[in-house]
Amino acid sequence: MRMAIKGIGVVGGFGCGVAELEAALESGKVPAGELGVPTPQGQRIIPAFRAATERLEEFVPKRALRRVDHFSRLGLLGAHLALADAGRLGGNLDRVGVVVSSGYGATATTFAYLDSIIADGDVCASPTHFANSVHNAAAANISIMLAARGPSLTVSQLELSVPSALLSARQWLAEGRVDAVLFGAVDELSDLVGYLHLRRYGPKPGSVISPLDHGRESSVPGEGAAFLLLTRMDDGPAYCSIDALKLGALPAGERPVFREDALLVLGADGRRELASRYLALVPERARLACYAPLYGSMPAAAAFDLAAAALVLKKGSVYPIPGAAGCDRDGKALPSATSHVSVLRLAGENEYARIDMSGI
Amino acid sequence: MTHPWPVAITGLGCICAAGNDLDSSLDTLYRGGNPPAAPVSFASEHPTRYPVFEITGFRGRPELLRTSALALQAAGEALTQAGFDRGELSRLRVGVCVGTTVGCALNDEQFCREYRAGRDPELEPIQRILRSNPAAAIAREFALSGPCQTVVNACASGTDAVGLGASWIRGGICDLVIAGGADELSRITYHGFISLMIADDSPCKPFDLGRKGLNLGEGAGMLVLESEALRARRGSRALSYLIGYGSGCDAHHLTAPSPGGVGLRRAIAEALACCATPYEEVRFVNAHGTGTPDNDRVESRVLADLFPGVPYLSTKGCTGHTLGAAGAIEAVFTAASLMRGVIPASVGFSTPDPELGGRPVRVPTEVARGGVALSESLAFGGNNAVILLRLGDDD
Repeated sequence: MRMAIKGIGVVGGFGCGVAELEAALESGKVPAGELGVPTPQGQRIIPAFRAATERLEEFVPKRALRRVDHFSRLGLLGAHLALADAGRLGGNLDRVGVVVSSGYGATATTFAYLDSIIADGDVCASPTHFANSVHNAAAANISIMLAARGPSLTVSQLELSVPSALLSARQWLAEGRVDAVLFGAVDELSDLVGYLHLRRYGPKPGSVISPLDHGRESSVPGEGAAFLLLTRMDDGPAYCSIDALKLGALPAGERPVFREDALLVLGADGRRELASRYLALVPERARLACYAPLYGSMPAAAAFDLAAAALVLKKGSVYPIPGAAGCDRDGKALPSATSHVSVLRLAGENEYARIDMSGI
Repeated sequence: MTHPWPVAITGLGCICAAGNDLDSSLDTLYRGGNPPAAPVSFASEHPTRYPVFEITGFRGRPELLRTSALALQAAGEALTQAGFDRGELSRLRVGVCVGTTVGCALNDEQFCREYRAGRDPELEPIQRILRSNPAAAIAREFALSGPCQTVVNACASGTDAVGLGASWIRGGICDLVIAGGADELSRITYHGFISLMIADDSPCKPFDLGRKGLNLGEGAGMLVLESEALRARRGSRALSYLIGYGSGCDAHHLTAPSPGGVGLRRAIAEALACCATPYEEVRFVNAHGTGTPDNDRVESRVLADLFPGVPYLSTKGCTGHTLGAAGAIEAVFTAASLMRGVIPASVGFSTPDPELGGRPVRVPTEVARGGVALSESLAFGGNNAVILLRLGDDD
């Protein structure tokens, strides 16, 4: 079943809202910010794409946000922006489902809860942090603030969280359980995420992601939320359609087949071990794009890829991303017009997902 | 494409404190259960030793979280019962949909203690968490090629995973889905529920006047859901049929249910509508019944309102609250109860609470054949999920 993307709500290191994502896609440049990471050797500063949620107060009274953590604020802002973009903010959401995916959940609050035990003892475990550390906290806060009483689902499938969750969103629409799905992804930076990134990839001199450079590690962690308002296809305005979705394990030696004229948006994000795997899977002359340099490395980036692909399809041409978009694997410029995009994401040893989209 | 309900269940697997497989769990359940005890797998500084339902005699795998090891155990049992071997599975489109809470949390306590103490801890505990995503672990173990989804809808995860897995069969996405839930006992969640003051310091008493809260448990429940096309090819027998799934959100509070049970009512109505099942056909309800004052009040009032006189029970007095596994374990018990034609007593209940809308069964109770059973879960976040089952094919 085909789905239509009716609204987009994004907040990330590039800014907030469709206009700022479009501006980032046009310029092809977003300077990374900084994340201070406590380490045994002292505070280390690493480049990171951080997201600000101040604009949430345009939608939700400050008082209602007192006990809402950063993770849920990201989700709330993305969700409100997507509804506003679709002209559905303030409308009846009785037939709207909420689907949220996250690779790691509310890591800062999870760590804060553990900290309450580590620092003050088992008896002083924080009930507030515990309650907010559940993975479905963002979806719950979205449902509460928007009075959305339809089905609510949170999925955590690490790097494939977004395509996995999208499968259920599509089924809900196909089965007629809902008329629209507020679909999104959230991941946040925290001391723990920053520290793990530092330990795994080491300090890096640069802060620019080179997604297809398999000769060096260039990933920069990111955070943010990307939401889409999805419906069944109709005659109304939409960014594009989502035509097909496939995920699972790719048999050894098998390569997915793509439309020859499709732009392939790869989930490559500067992690060296992934770059060569992506290049091994895509056809020789495929047009490639990687937009992770605009929002960073995180499982939720797959939802940003969907948002970027939707904007590409609405515009009808490819946005220039340094070193990747509009080029083949050898860096040769290719025609920029496109009406078909496949978003590809790899994980684990042989797990993959592809989402095929087209312009309307 | 969407095939009509029902979806056949051809295999069941379960491990919990009541038993390390389905048969032994059912024996314990129908005998009236074993009491919980203070946790032995972890220590606590808490002056009160809140009892838990802990699995004994089960050895996990060092490379995986216990949650995933439990999931593998139950999945293996369910697949064996359904009559699948690994070679056959590799030729099918098999998906995995599993609910959990602890199994996805990036919260290794020892790692965080060392990090906070100013040391550089080994990364292995974090890598173990990342290797242990329950759905991915099952897919890897059985070399499956279909979609994986780990549902993290708090305590409704297991029920949701079963319902969502069924939608993959109905949508023609999979020939077979391994659906269920798994969760291990954890020091971290143990202290979380105590901090919320919803843990009972004695054996839990769902729906009882003297209920004080829940006892945590651990375990896994798995169901093999099979397409009609595959069943026709294999000639397999349905143990039970999943005939409906519904869910709804209270949109009320992060940890407390809506007083009127808004989301639960919606979930029940949606599940019944799947096969146009009249309310009167429901023969029994396997309730969420945690033993917390709020949950049991809301749930019993909804049941009294929608299903007056219909027997209901909670099995958490026998298994504890197994969080993301609970809905799946209870789905397995519900299917097994339909097959036996008898529901077990609601362990822990003795004194009716006049504030509640009804009372659960005190003794094993026969249920009329030919009807349907409902299993429901309520969760943090206001998530409510309901599945509806009926008896499968005759032997």
